[in-house]
Amino acid sequence: MSSAIQLQNVWKIFGDVPNNISNSIQTETISKQEALERYNCVIGVSNVSFEVKYGEIFCVMGLSGSGKSTLVRHINRLLEPTSGKILINNQDIMGLDKIELEAFRNTKIGMVFQNFALMPHRSVLDNIAMPLEIRGVNKNERVNAATTILKTVELEGWGNRYAHELSGGMQQRVGLARALAADPDILLMDEPFSALDPLIRRQLQNEFIKLSSDLQKTTVFITHDLDEAVRVGHRIAIMREGAVIQVGTPEEIVISPADDYVAEFVKGISKLKVVTAKSIMQKPESDEFFHDIIGHERVHQDIPLNQLIRTVTFHKDPIIVTDSDGVNLGYITQPSLFKSVIEENNDV
Amino acid sequence: MMFETNDRTLKNFVRTNTEYYQREFNKIGAKSGYKFSFNVSAALYGPIWFGARNIWNYALAFLIIETFCFVQLVRGSFGDITKDARDKIEKIQSTIDFRNQQLLAAKQNNSDKVEVYERAINSLERAMEGYVIDINTVEESAIWIALSGVFILVFAKFLQGIIGNIILEKRYSDWLSDHSIDPGMTNNHFLLSVIFTAIIMCLSVINYSFPGYLTILDGFPTHPDIRIKSINWVESSFDLAVLKGDALFTTITIGIRSVLDFLELIFVTTPWIVIITAIVVLTALSAGIKTAIYSAAFLSYMGFLGFWEKAMTTLALLGTAALLSIAIGIPLGIFCARRYRFYAVIRPIMDFMQTMPAFVFMIPVIAFFGTGKVAAVIITMIFGGTPVVRLTVLGLRGVDETIREAAIAYGASNWYLLRKIDLPLAAPSILAGVNQTVMLSLAMVVVASLIGAKGLGQDVLEALQYANVGQGILAGVAILFVALILDRVVQGKKRV
Repeated sequence: MSSAIQLQNVWKIFGDVPNNISNSIQTETISKQEALERYNCVIGVSNVSFEVKYGEIFCVMGLSGSGKSTLVRHINRLLEPTSGKILINNQDIMGLDKIELEAFRNTKIGMVFQNFALMPHRSVLDNIAMPLEIRGVNKNERVNAATTILKTVELEGWGNRYAHELSGGMQQRVGLARALAADPDILLMDEPFSALDPLIRRQLQNEFIKLSSDLQKTTVFITHDLDEAVRVGHRIAIMREGAVIQVGTPEEIVISPADDYVAEFVKGISKLKVVTAKSIMQKPESDEFFHDIIGHERVHQDIPLNQLIRTVTFHKDPIIVTDSDGVNLGYITQPSLFKSVIEENNDV
Repeated sequence: MMFETNDRTLKNFVRTNTEYYQREFNKIGAKSGYKFSFNVSAALYGPIWFGARNIWNYALAFLIIETFCFVQLVRGSFGDITKDARDKIEKIQSTIDFRNQQLLAAKQNNSDKVEVYERAINSLERAMEGYVIDINTVEESAIWIALSGVFILVFAKFLQGIIGNIILEKRYSDWLSDHSIDPGMTNNHFLLSVIFTAIIMCLSVINYSFPGYLTILDGFPTHPDIRIKSINWVESSFDLAVLKGDALFTTITIGIRSVLDFLELIFVTTPWIVIITAIVVLTALSAGIKTAIYSAAFLSYMGFLGFWEKAMTTLALLGTAALLSIAIGIPLGIFCARRYRFYAVIRPIMDFMQTMPAFVFMIPVIAFFGTGKVAAVIITMIFGGTPVVRLTVLGLRGVDETIREAAIAYGASNWYLLRKIDLPLAAPSILAGVNQTVMLSLAMVVVASLIGAKGLGQDVLEALQYANVGQGILAGVAILFVALILDRVVQGKKRV
C-alpha cells in the first residue's frame, strides 16, 4: 500500500545561506547551536523522513522550538524545504506551480491552527465556507455545506454569529469545521487544542477521535503534549532540534524509548491504556504448558493494561494471551502483572 | 547588589579601580533612597571623565557649565574686558586731536567757528570721561566675574563628584542586560573626550576673553561665489526640467483639471438646495441624525453669510486633492506594505513632503505648473497625501499573520487575500488615513489661495492683507465648518 504522505530527507534552513554552506550543514550534521554560531542560520527541519498511511493519525510530538510546526508547514508548502522530497498521494508537490499549488491546498489539505485563525469580521458560516469560497462555489451551496458541517461539530444555531463572539473551544470547532468543509484528503492539525483549557481539550480530543474514526481522514497532528499524542495518534514521531528521533506506535515509544530524551517524556505517561498484554506476557518454555492450564481465562493480545488488571482481579490463576485466531501466545500471572505495572510506571 | 561572575563582570565594565567601584556600587545598591558617594576623578576631570566613560549626555551638559566658568575666570583675571571702552576712547581721542588742529587753524585765521570747535571738543572730552569711568568700573568688577566663575566651577565639580557613581551604577545595570552599550574607557574614548573638551574650552575662552584675537572665530569662512554659483546651478537645472518635462507636466495638468472641472460642475453649478439636501442625508446615513442637524446648521451659516459659492469652490478643490491623494495613496500603501525595501525608499520622501514648509515646495510647483488651481491641488496633495499611505501600510502590516496564513493554507490567491482578508481587517486604519488626508488638505486652503486658488482661503488672505478682522474670522469659521462636515462624513460613527 502506498502512503498518503511521504517525506524524504527534508531539510529546512532559515537565514540567508548560500548553497554550498547549506550543503555542508546537511552533510556535516552539526547541531542547531553550532549552525547558529558558525553560519548565523537556524536549522528548522533536519533530515526528516517518514511516511503516513492512508487514514492514519500521525502525531508529531516535540517541545516548542523543536521544529514540529515548521515541519507540518512543508506538507502544504506554506514553507519551502531547503532540500528533500515531499510526496502527497505519490505526487511530488515541489513540482506544482503557483496556480496548481493553490488548487492543491484548496482541495487536498485542510489545516487547523493553534490560535484558530478565524476571520473576526465574518460570520461562523462564512468562516467555515472559506475554502469553498476560494474554490468558487456559489453562495447557496456554500451556506448549505457549511450548515451541514456545523451540525457535525455540534454548533448548530451559531452559524450567523461573528467568529470572535464564540468561546475558545467553540472557535476551534469552527476551525475544525472549516478544515472539513473542503472535504480534503489530509488534515493538518497544528497544536489544535493547546490553547484550550484542560476540560475542553479532553472533550475536543474525544470528539476528534470519534470524528476521525468515522471520516477516516489521513491526519498529521502536531502536539507538545505526549499524553495527547498517545491518546490521539496511531503512530507518533518525536522531534528534537528539527530532527525526528523516534517513530513508532504509542506502545513502542512507551515500552522502548529510543534514547534518554524520549525516556524522560515517557516517564510521566500513564501506561495503563498504552501497554498491551502482548508486551508483558511471558512465553512458556514449551507448548505443553498450555495443556496444564486449559480452562483458564483467555484474553486478546491487544488488551491494554487497565483491562488486564480488571480481569486478573477476578481470576487468581494465570491468564492466557491469544491472537485474533485464538492461538495461545503466552500467559500472565498476577505477580508478573503487578510487577510490570510497577516497573513501567515509576510514578505509581 | 549581586555581581555576576560570568563574562559580564564589573571589571569589564569599569576597567579601572574595580575594587573601589565594587565598594561604592554596593553602597548605592544597599540603600533604597539617595546614597552619598563621592567620586574624586569625576569631580576632578569632569566632562573628560564622563566622555571617557561614553556618557556623553552628561559630558556635554557639564562641559557647557564648566566652559562658562572658565570663560568667566579667565575673562575676570587676564581678559581684555575693557577693549570695547578703550577702542571708543581711542576713537574719541583722535577726533579731539583733529578738532584741536581745526581749532588752532580757526584761531590763526580768526574764524567765527572757534566757538563751535571749542564746544565740540568739550562735549567729546565729557564723553571720554564717561568711558574712562566705565573702564574703572569694569576693571573693578573683574574680580567678581572671576570669583563667580570659581564659585560655579566648584559647585559643578562637587555635583559631578556626587552624581558620578550613581550614574555609572545605573549604566552598569543597563549594560548587564544590553550588549550594545559601550562602557568606554578605551584609549580612543579617552582621546576623543580630551580633544573634544579641549577644543570647546580653549576656543570659547579665547573668543570671550580676548575678542578679535582669532579672526576665524568671527564668522563662518565662506566665499560669496559659492552661494551665487549654487543659485545659478539650481535655477538652470529647474529650467532644464521645465523644458524637458513639458509633456509630463501637461498630462498631469490635464488630469487634475478634468477631475477639478467635474467636481466644480457638481458643487458650484448644482443648486444649493440640492447640495444641502445631499450633504445632510449623507451625514445622517453615515454619522446619525444629530450630526446631520449640525451639518444643516453649518451649511446655512455659509449660505446666510454669502460664503456659499466660495465654500463650494473650496470643496471642489479640496475634493480633487483628497480624491487624487486617496486614489494614489491606497494602492501605493498596498504595494508598499509587504515590500520593506521599497517602503524604506518611499518613507523618507513622505517625511520630506510633510516637513518641508509649503512655501518652499510652492516655488518649484509654480515653476512647473504655473499659478492657479492645478498648482494649488498639487501643493495640497504634497502636504496632505502622505497619511493615507502611511496608515494603509500600518493597517495592512497589522493584519494578523495567522489569519493570512490560514487563508493561504486553503489556497487563497493574492487577490483573494487582499480583498477578503487584508483590506477588511485593515479598514479602520485605512479610513483613519483617509480622514487625516482630508483634514490636512483643509489646512492648506489658505496657503493654496496664495497661488490663485479662489474660495474661502482667498477671503482669509484678503482679510489678512487689509487687517479686516470681521471678514477673516467669519471666513475662517466657514473653513472650520467645511472641515467638520467632511470629517463626520468620512469617519461616520466610528471615532478614531
